[in-house]
Amino acid sequence: MAVQTFLKPALPLLTLLPGLCLIPVVAILVRDGHGGGLPLLIQFAQGALQPSFDPNLLKNLWQGLQITLVIAVLSWGISSGLGVILGFLGSRTLWRTVLGSAWPALLFRRLLSPFRAIHELIWGLLLLQIYGLNGWVAIAAIVIPYSALMARVIADQIDCHESPALPVLQATGGPAIAVLMTAVIPAVSSAIKNHIGHRLDCALRSALILGVFGLGGLGTDLMLSLQSLQFHDMWSGLWLLAIAMVVLDQILGSLQRKQRIGGVISVVLMLALVWSATLNLDLSWPSGTLGSVLDVLGDNHNAAAAFFELNWVAVIGSTLLITLMASCIATAVPPLLLLLWPSPRSLRLQSLIWGALRLLPTPLSALLLLVMAKPSLPLAALALGLHHSGVMGRVLIKDIRETGFGSAQTLERCGATVRMSWLYGPLAEVSRSYLAYASYRCDVILRDTVVVGIVGSAGLGWQLIDALSSFHWWLVAWLVVAFIGLTLLGETITERWQQRLNCKAVVL
Amino acid sequence: MTALLELHQVSLDQRLQSTSLTIRADERVVLLGASGAGKTTLIQLCNGSLKPSKGSIQWRGQPFASLTRHQRRSIGTLWQDLRLVEELSVVQNINSGALGRHGLLWALRNLLGVLDKDACLTVMHQVHLEPSLLNRAVTQLSGGQRQRVALARLLRQRPELGLADEPLSALDPVIARDVLDTLLSFPGCLISLHRPDLIHRFERVLGLRNGALVLDAAPETISNSQLEWLYRRS
Repeated sequence: MAVQTFLKPALPLLTLLPGLCLIPVVAILVRDGHGGGLPLLIQFAQGALQPSFDPNLLKNLWQGLQITLVIAVLSWGISSGLGVILGFLGSRTLWRTVLGSAWPALLFRRLLSPFRAIHELIWGLLLLQIYGLNGWVAIAAIVIPYSALMARVIADQIDCHESPALPVLQATGGPAIAVLMTAVIPAVSSAIKNHIGHRLDCALRSALILGVFGLGGLGTDLMLSLQSLQFHDMWSGLWLLAIAMVVLDQILGSLQRKQRIGGVISVVLMLALVWSATLNLDLSWPSGTLGSVLDVLGDNHNAAAAFFELNWVAVIGSTLLITLMASCIATAVPPLLLLLWPSPRSLRLQSLIWGALRLLPTPLSALLLLVMAKPSLPLAALALGLHHSGVMGRVLIKDIRETGFGSAQTLERCGATVRMSWLYGPLAEVSRSYLAYASYRCDVILRDTVVVGIVGSAGLGWQLIDALSSFHWWLVAWLVVAFIGLTLLGETITERWQQRLNCKAVVL
Repeated sequence: MTALLELHQVSLDQRLQSTSLTIRADERVVLLGASGAGKTTLIQLCNGSLKPSKGSIQWRGQPFASLTRHQRRSIGTLWQDLRLVEELSVVQNINSGALGRHGLLWALRNLLGVLDKDACLTVMHQVHLEPSLLNRAVTQLSGGQRQRVALARLLRQRPELGLADEPLSALDPVIARDVLDTLLSFPGCLISLHRPDLIHRFERVLGLRNGALVLDAAPETISNSQLEWLYRRS
C-alpha cells in the first residue's frame, strides 16, 4: 500500500517553531540598535544588586505598594463575585437544565464580550477622563473587564465539566437548582477556585500598569524613578513588589488548600476597605461628566470625520503585527530555554527568570529597551513578548512538574541525549495543553498591545491613548469598536484552534 | 557465551533481596512470580531506571553508571504501560527508538514529518502493523496496535538485550504470540510473564517470591509444584 508522506509538524515542534520569529526581530533590533544606551542598561542591572535603602524612599514606596495592593484586592474581590454570578448565567449547562434551551447563555456571553474586549488600561483612561482621579476609577477599570473575562472562563469550565450524572439526576425529577448543585458545582469548584486565585496576581499587575499611566500606587513611583533614571530607587520598588507577590502567592495557596475561597474573599474585601481608610487613596463616590461625553457623541457630523482621520489598514495591521510577533516570542522562548538547559534542577532557575519577566510592567520594560534601540514594532513586540513569556514559562514549568520527568528518563535509558529526551518526553507530553494556553494568551496579548503602543508609536492602543488625551470622543468610540471587533475575532480563532487541539485551555 | 548483564548481590529496599544474576548473549530468560514478587523492580534495575541500594550491576563488564549513551541503547525495554509519546504519530514514535543513534537535528526533522520511512515500514511489517497507520496519531489506535507500535520502536532501537514487563497482558492470543515471537528474536531477552504455560519457549526460568530470587533453572527441569509454589500466597 502506498503511504503518503507530507510535512506535518508535531505538537512539540509547534511549540518551538514560533521561535523563528526571533530571527527577523533580532535582526531589526541590531539594525536599529545603538550602543549609547548600554551604560544605562548596565546601571539598571547593577541597581538590582544595590537597591536604595533611603528611609524616606522606602516609606513612599511602601505607601505606593499599599495603594496598589488595596486597588488590586478590592478589584479582585468584586470581580470574583461578579464573575462567578455572570459565569453561571453564561453557562449553557445551567440554562439547558433550567429551561431546556441554551439561548439565554449565548445572549449573556454576547452581551459581556465588549466589556472583556477592552483592556483595563483603556477603561482606566476612559473613566479617568470622565470622572477624574479617584480610587474607584482604578478599581472599576479592573473590575469591568475582569468580571466579564472571569464569567467567560467559568462558563466554559462549567460546560466542559458537564457531569455524566446530570441526566441521571434530572431524571429523578428533583428541582433544577438542586440538580445543578449536586452534579455541576462539585465538578467545577476546584477549577473555579484556581482561576480566582490566579486573578489576584493578574489584578496586582493590572493595578501596577494603571499606576504607570498615572492612576496612583507603586506603578507611578516606578515610572517616575525610571524617567529620572534612578535605577536604585526603582529596584527598591521592584524588590518590594516581588516580596509582595511571593507573600500573596503563599497566602493564596494556603487559602485555596482550606477550600473556603468565598469566605476568604469576603474577609479580604472587608480588610481591604478598612485598610484603604488609612491610606492616601480617595474612595469617595466619583462625580463625573459623562453627560458632556454623550453630548459630543450626539453630534453625528463628527462621527464620519473622525472615522476618516485614520488609515485603518495601517493601524490595525500594525496592531496585528505586534500581536503576532509578541505571541510567537511568548510561546517559543520558554520551551527554547527549557531545551537549552534541560534538567529538573534547572527548572528552579528558569522559574526565577520567568518571575523576573513578569515582575517588570510591560511599559517599563518597553522603555528600558528603548534606551538600546530606536522605536519600532519589533521592539514593542519584544517587550510584550518577553513579559508574556514570563507567564507562559510559569505554565510550562507547572505542567512539566505535574507530569513528571519519567518519560525523559525512559528515553535517556535508550541512549537519547538529555536534550532529545526532554523534547520527546516532558515537552511532548505537555505540548497540547501548552499550545492551547498559548492560543488563549494571544487574545491577552492583542489586548495588551495598548500598553506598548507608546514604544512603536503605532497600533490601535497608541491612537486610543492619543485620542483620549485630546478628548476626541468620536475617534475614541471608533477605536474602541475596532478593538472590540479585533478581540472578538481573535477569540473566535482561538476557540477554533483549541477545538482542533481537542483541548480547552485551563485558563489561568 | 559472553555475559551481557551481571547483577552482584543487588538489593533495593524491601522490594528486592540480595540477588545475583547473569544474563548471557543468546539467552532467552523468563521471569515468573506472583504480583508484588519484585518482577517489575528487577526489570527496572536491569534497564537502569532504578538504582540498587546495595550491590552492583554491570553491562558487558562495565559498571552501569559509566555507560555512554551509545552503550545504553544496547538495552531496550518494552514497558508494561508502553510509554508511547501520545502527541506523536506512529512513525514518529517508532523513530524515537532510534534517537540514540542520531543527533538533535534528526530528532527535530522527525517531528516535522515522515523520516526514514523504509526503516519504519520494515519494522512495522515485522510486527504486523498496517503501513496505512504510518501517519496515524497513536491516540487513535487500539490497545493491540499500540502494543505493536511500542514493539516496533524497540525493534528500531535494535538492542542486544530486550527487556519486557508483562508484555502479553490484555492481548488476544494471536497478537500475544506475535509479540512473544518478536521479543524472542532479540540476541538476549529477559521477559516477565504471568504465563507458566509458555516457559518451554525459553532457555531459562527465573522465579521470584517476596522479593527473593528462589528459582533459576532450565524449563524442562521445573515441576508443576514448583510453579504453583511461586504463585501460592504465604
